[in-house]
Parts: sequence; C-alpha cells; structure tokens
Amino acid sequence: MIVIRAPLRISLIGGGTDIPVFFRSHPGRVISATIDKYIYLVINPTPLVDMVSARYSKTETVSHPKELEHARIKALLLDLGITSNIEIGSFASLPGKTGLGSSSSFSVALVKGLHAHLGRSMSAAEAAEKACELEIDILGEPIGKQDQYAAAHGGLNFYQFNCNGSVTVEPLLLDYKKSAELQDSMLLFYTGIERHASDVLGQQVGQMKSKFDSYIALSNSVLKFRELLLKGDIKGAGLMMHESWLAKKKLGSKVSNKTLDSLYSAGIKAGAWGGKVLGAGGGGCFLFIAPPAKHKAILKALKAQAKKVKLVGARHIPFSFVESGTDILFNNNASHQV
Amino acid sequence: MKEYIEQHIEEATAALRAVSSDEIAKCMVQIQRVFERDGRIYIFGNGGSLALATHWVSDFNKTVFGHNVELHTKRFQAIRLPTTEEEYSAWTNDVGHDSVFVGPLQNYLQEHDCVIAISSSGNSQNVIKAAQYAKKRGVPVIALAGFDGGELNKLADVKILVPTPKGRYDLVEGAHGVILHLITWYFRDYFEHKLAKKTSHGKKKNK
Repeated sequence: MIVIRAPLRISLIGGGTDIPVFFRSHPGRVISATIDKYIYLVINPTPLVDMVSARYSKTETVSHPKELEHARIKALLLDLGITSNIEIGSFASLPGKTGLGSSSSFSVALVKGLHAHLGRSMSAAEAAEKACELEIDILGEPIGKQDQYAAAHGGLNFYQFNCNGSVTVEPLLLDYKKSAELQDSMLLFYTGIERHASDVLGQQVGQMKSKFDSYIALSNSVLKFRELLLKGDIKGAGLMMHESWLAKKKLGSKVSNKTLDSLYSAGIKAGAWGGKVLGAGGGGCFLFIAPPAKHKAILKALKAQAKKVKLVGARHIPFSFVESGTDILFNNNASHQV
Repeated sequence: MKEYIEQHIEEATAALRAVSSDEIAKCMVQIQRVFERDGRIYIFGNGGSLALATHWVSDFNKTVFGHNVELHTKRFQAIRLPTTEEEYSAWTNDVGHDSVFVGPLQNYLQEHDCVIAISSSGNSQNVIKAAQYAKKRGVPVIALAGFDGGELNKLADVKILVPTPKGRYDLVEGAHGVILHLITWYFRDYFEHKLAKKTSHGKKKNK
C-alpha cells in the first residue's frame, strides 16, 4: 500500500499567465504558496481481485479502467497500462472547487503515487510535468500549469513558464520571521460558492489574444511582487494585490460577479490592504492581506456580507504555510532493490 | 606565533564566507519538509565527519526543543549511521568498508526521510554509495563537502560546499561544524518563535 499526499496552494499573483496559449509567446510568471491542507491518496494493490476500484465521493468498481467515470484516474491508468488489481481512494482536508488548486494536487498525487506503485520514483519536476500532460494534453482542460508545479514542489515559490516549455522554479527563501509575518497578515475566506476553473478559464483563453498586453503587464508585475515579499514589505504586496485583482477582473466576465465584488468591498472597507479571489475566480476562496490587528473586524464584515447575500457555506479557513510538496508518506510495496 | 594564528583565522573565515547561503537555506527547507511529513534525517561521514554527525544529532534532537521540551510534542528524528560502534565494525568486518552507511540505510530508509552526507573530499566511496542509494529511492540528499566537492557534491540535491584547496580538512571540517550548528540554532529559534506566538494567542483567548 502507498499513502501519498499533495498540498493545496494559495495563488498570490500572476494566474492566467501560466496558460500555454500565453507563455508560448511571452514568459508567464506566478507566485504561490502551499498550505497545510492536503489531498491524500491511498493506492492499494489487490492481487487476488481482478478489478479496478476508485473511491472518492463515489465508489466505482469495474473490470477495466476504460469503464471508469473518474476521468483522471481512468486516463492515467490507461496511459500507464495498469488495467486491473488496484484500489485507489482519495481523502481531502477541504472540499474541491474552492480555488485552492485541489484538482491538480489530486493529479500530481495520482501521477507520483501510481509511478511508485510501478516501482518508479519521480522528481517533483517530472511529477508536475506528467500531471500537466494528463490534464492539459490528454484530458484537454483549458487550464494553466501553476497548480501542478505548486503541488509537486511545495513551498513559497516563484515560477516562470518559459516560451520553450521549460519551467523555472525559484523558492522565495524567507526566514521564519518574515514567513510568519506574511502568513499572519493573510486571511483565507471561503465564499461557499463552488465553481469549475475550466468554465472561467475556458472563456478567458478564448479572449486572450485581444487582451494580450494586459497579460504581459500581469506577468511582468510578478517580478515586482517578488521583490516586495523578499523585502518583507507586506503592506506594499497587499496594495499591489489589490491593483492586480482589479486588473484581473477585466480579463474575463466570469472572474468576478456582484456577490463576489460585494464581499471584496466589505473586506477592503474593514481595513484590508488588498486581496483577490484565489484560482481562476468566479467563486471559491478570497485571500486578503491585512494588518493582523484588523483581521477580526474584516472577518466580521465578511460574515455579515455573506449572510446578507445568503452564502450559507461561507467561512474562515485558518491555515499555515508549508514547505511540503507531494510526498509519499508510506510505501510497503517491496520493490526497492539496490 | 600570532601571525600564524591570525592567518589561520583569516583562512577559516574566508572558507566559511565562500559557502552559498542559498544552499544552506535550501537545506533548512528540506529539513522543514521532513518534519512536516514525520520523516527521519539520517546523517553520516568518516572520521572527523562522523564525529560532526554524532555531535549534530545529539544537539539537534534535544537543543532545538530544549527550552520548552515538554511543550513540543512533535520533535525531530535525526539518526547517525550506523547507530552503534558494534554495528559499524560488523558491516566493515562482514561485508566491507563500503557498506557501513548504505547497509544500515537500507534497513531504515523510507521515501519520506532525508539524508545528510558529509565528506570533505566529496569522494569517500562509502558515503557516495549511501547517497546514491538514497537518490535511487527518491530521497533528498543534502551534501556537506569541501575541496572541489567531488562526486558527492555533483549528485546531491542540496550542495553545501566549502571550497578550499585540496587537503585542507581543518578548514572544511571547521566550517561544517559552524554550518551544522547554524542549522540547529535556526530551528531552535524558529520553534521558539512559533511557540511564543501560540502561547500568546492562547493567553488572549483565555482572557
């Protein structure tokens, strides 16, 4: 049996420039941080049962992976030629569709876990690339590459997606004091609105050509954001996130809506320097950067506004940064020969 | 006499200054990751390097959490290989000197662990064998090397190299000692800081 986990991530800036249509012409850049919320996968060989089982919100047991409904498990099992005698179960700290990159975290864990099942170890970069191949090339999802890289590598990192397809990963090596200060200034608030990243991004990708200059500006702004974080200028980073969010809303009509705008205004009015909807937008989680002393007031304002617009699932999600990427926590398959 | 001493201090300082602080920071990140996934840190080397490994393990397992040891329920698990002198001599005598680190490592190593390999020349075969085994298993290797780094520095994921003229074991081992203490003190300060924040929050809540 193999137990493997992949962290979720908060995307700080640059989302959208990690989509191939953009970075093939101009380098895309993002900064994200992994947090202490994880997707866990259990992969169990079942030598005496000639079936494939997938257990997630549903349980599927089929005689061949081509009969599976779960698109990612199905595609990867077929790609790797695993056709029988396996159970795959998934567990998560948070529900999906929250804008925390959970679907790509799932993919990276699946990729690394199934390779371990076959006795192959994989570097973070290999696992990220294979997960991108699974989601973008095989399943044709109109998404970017940042979440796969964030889940595979872990930590607070700067990613550059180069035109030739290579990816540069640079950790922002903040010491524990700066890192704790940044973490303590951040507020994560789940709106209770589920959304599919593909719906939001599909529309954005369609309009990318006409808004190419805005994407170039966004990509270039990530370099400045990195400088602010390295200097420990959290207020500066918050104010920049605010500007960046206003610009991002213009990139697609599904990125925000009246309800989300009303929540954002409530947060800013209560004292946040800046914030954004995490991930593609359209729902999921808000991240605010604010002086820690203002957090209580901001939460109160957000909860009141959420109640007003009848968001029943809205709630605060406390979190910590982690350095963890996608890690095998347990593996007792006897295949490690020297 | 004074000149000799001062020159040595100059050389030792220069050797330490030549170490990449980025690589030391990456080492902290790897150790933090191992902590988050409840893994173990295996450390080993020959001669003076083995003494450094033993010294570091005793410091790291205790000193990091030393001030409020009872409040830290989750702690580091750092282990020097081999764990006893008897095991060392058994591997050497029965299997061969190249097996003294890779032998015990094979007994213990899990994918969620990490390895710190120390070799001043970077070319000690028994150290390299163990590092290669860790790499094969997908386990991160942190190297502490000297001189030109040798083979060890090439294969490591984190390359803490003290670049010196060949044969200057004194400078390399001295710098390694400082770096290992730096790692211990960084995590000591980090966990103290975390604990201080947690207890001050707790106090506020109680009010």
